[in-house]
Amino acid sequence: MSLTVFSLAVLFTSIGAGAVGAILGLGGGILLIPILTVFYGVDLHYAMGASIISVIATSSGAAASYLRTGLSNLRIGLFLVMATISGALVGALLAGVVPTRALELILGLALSYSAYTTVKQLRDELPESPPDDPLALRFDLEGTYHDLRLEREVVYRAQRVVQGFCAMFGAGLLSGMLGIGSGAFKVLAMDYLMRLPMKVSTATSNFMIGLTAAASASIYWSRGDIHTLIAAPVAIGVLAGAYLGTTVMARLRNTTVRKLFLPVVVYLALSMIVRGLGLHLP
Amino acid sequence: MSRLRATFSVEHLVSRILLFGGLLGIGVVLLGLVLYAAHGGFRHHVLDLTRRPAGHPPGVFVSVRQVTGGLASRPIDPLALSALGLVILMVTPAVAVAAALPAFWCTGDRRYALIALVVLAMLALSATLAGSVH
Repeated sequence: MSLTVFSLAVLFTSIGAGAVGAILGLGGGILLIPILTVFYGVDLHYAMGASIISVIATSSGAAASYLRTGLSNLRIGLFLVMATISGALVGALLAGVVPTRALELILGLALSYSAYTTVKQLRDELPESPPDDPLALRFDLEGTYHDLRLEREVVYRAQRVVQGFCAMFGAGLLSGMLGIGSGAFKVLAMDYLMRLPMKVSTATSNFMIGLTAAASASIYWSRGDIHTLIAAPVAIGVLAGAYLGTTVMARLRNTTVRKLFLPVVVYLALSMIVRGLGLHLP
Repeated sequence: MSRLRATFSVEHLVSRILLFGGLLGIGVVLLGLVLYAAHGGFRHHVLDLTRRPAGHPPGVFVSVRQVTGGLASRPIDPLALSALGLVILMVTPAVAVAAALPAFWCTGDRRYALIALVVLAMLALSATLAGSVH
């Protein structure tokens, strides 16, 4: 494949990945890495390096817009990212010490349960009015946004902050130990445990994934995994796609975002169980 | 009410930095690719998509010094320019948090200024650990 054709193909693929990532609060690696490796024949290391760039580009593009419109909550993002990054640091130190296959299996089962709860919540547009969580009040883990679809102001406050914080630490820990992205886990923790509106969960995840990716980008860079001619079209496409995704997401229902998110959780659960059982799919 | 306005201004600041950092990074990446095309890079080059165990192909930079070296060379290395754009993109989230720290402090929210400081320290620790390992 010539470089021109390759660059254009990757550019257009990345626009799609950026749009999906911006809507679902994911970095795009879950889509980009398989496409780059299977369809374009890119080495897995270069694909992972391009993926980390895609996470940061998605985050910059999407969070810039979401913070302006109030969908992304800066305080909740900063508060929770402390747990995620510290978890990732501990996870990186524990990598190789703890048996990863058992962890993958446990994670797969936990995700299967999350998929089940996501199905149960499919029709919930907004969480019920929350009881006051002392930590949420103390740390101002609340906010308001104007919902374009519902055509009204939505007021929300985080619940079960301790559980949410611990889940974020766990997400970071697994991310550091298993080398997987944790955007989906962040969304699940905010949506299911902390009972934030689904759109706030994905938008805030978009802000957080940029910070956690920035923390690990230097590792990929110094390893030589970031190939400019692969990462450059990815970055351009993903940023453009992220802007597109934010426009679409603002007009979606929370229930629609959750329905779009469900297949991602199911896919992650199955892939973790398969890895945990030591099976290799073709 | 004043607290709400203050919160919005910090979020607005972080939003602007993410937006302009992202656009600046992408602008520099694009400029590098345009120069690369002007030098005939896209006509002659067939991309090697396989990572070699030893040595890095053109387009892979592993340190900022390599990038600055490529920028200082004449004619300028267009891929070093694109790599600089990627570096700008990579540091943008940290710059946004660094800017949020004094912004929170100035609006009287010392708690979140401290949280921003902790997040920055963790990012610095991650970068240092990465540097020491690799």
